[in-house]
Amino acid sequence: MPITIRLPRDLYQGVLADLRRPHAHAAERIGFIYGRFVPGDQPLVVMTRYVPVPDEQYVVDDTVGARINGDAIRAAMQGVLDTREGVFHTHLHEWPGTPWFSRTDDEELPRLIPAFRAVGPTQATGLFLLSPDSAIADVWLPGAQGPERVVRISIV
Amino acid sequence: MSERYSRQGFLGEAGQRAIETARVCINGLGGGGSIVAPELAHLGVQNFVLYDPDHGDESNLNRTMTLTEADVTAGTLKIEAARRRILEINPRAKIEVHSCRWQDRPKALDGSTLVMGCVDSFSERQQIEACCRRLLVPYIDIGMDVHAGDPPAMSGQIILSAPGGPCMFCMHFLTEAKIGREVANYGAAGGKPQVVWANGVLASTAVGIAVNILTGWAKGSPPIYLQYKGNGGTLEPHIRLGYLAPGPCPHYPLDQAGEPAFVKV
Repeated sequence: MPITIRLPRDLYQGVLADLRRPHAHAAERIGFIYGRFVPGDQPLVVMTRYVPVPDEQYVVDDTVGARINGDAIRAAMQGVLDTREGVFHTHLHEWPGTPWFSRTDDEELPRLIPAFRAVGPTQATGLFLLSPDSAIADVWLPGAQGPERVVRISIV
Repeated sequence: MSERYSRQGFLGEAGQRAIETARVCINGLGGGGSIVAPELAHLGVQNFVLYDPDHGDESNLNRTMTLTEADVTAGTLKIEAARRRILEINPRAKIEVHSCRWQDRPKALDGSTLVMGCVDSFSERQQIEACCRRLLVPYIDIGMDVHAGDPPAMSGQIILSAPGGPCMFCMHFLTEAKIGREVANYGAAGGKPQVVWANGVLASTAVGIAVNILTGWAKGSPPIYLQYKGNGGTLEPHIRLGYLAPGPCPHYPLDQAGEPAFVKV
């Protein structure tokens, strides 16, 4: 089923601005975008808000672009429980064009998903990767075994 | 870019791709919708969702561009006339038709890239706008009226209700009083005056806004509320834009987007 993500323009610009902020020791920033799943033949996720990971919740690890601690994960899970929205781990690769998940992203990020799905089983959960002018997202729909690549990300 | 669209090459390859992959819903295939649909097809829109429960009748022939006299005799549905015209322009178009009000089959609207509203009821506009705002789909509305007088006063509007922007309530085009009066007069309203040339201005301008949204070719925000003054033939930003309340739209806050859900308070 072709999945679409809709992201309000102001929210999108806010996310980009936040992810571009420098950090004391991490090379990249991470945040969480929350969205509501609209089921149907053309499944839809409408993104509603963004929560940046606070500076102090990054772990000092120079083998990766950024690593966040358990407090950050717990806060994201609480966000799902409090609002009944799904959550998307979000970061930025600063080269233009369609981004792609790095090998580290592919190895590590999917491990976050079961925790988010456990607290939000009826919502879509996933990974959102931005570039300066593009984006991709992998979405785990409710009940699905694995992720699907989103076919369309609309900035509205 | 193919030869077919070579004259709109200024929209760019990416822009043309955005047009061809968009899924456009048109609510109402009467005077306005019958112009919107073929124009979008000419531009390259491939995917349509059409809603209209009505058959063509004699009184539609003064303005419904997709209807013929033979259609009226045959009782052709307006959506079928629109589908026929779209396929004449592009036989590869994928057209989903619903001979009902959109409220009767709302899920078909979910996957729309944008929605064009071509109906003549305030409450219908309010309902579809609310759905579009919930789904974060840009909604473009058109309509016209002719008020009694000597001479009669012709007016119309094109309104863009986009996520994050002011809604039709913010712009005071919709008010509870207007909707209430309309509901109170139900059955007594009769056919509102409509003519093809005014519909043409409004529909074509709405299509231009749609293309701007899909392609970004004009590199600026599209207009959100244009007023058509038919007597003088002018189209200009509505004076109400100067009086919009600051801040985000309070009627459709972002945290109420998506499907309704229970949350703890």
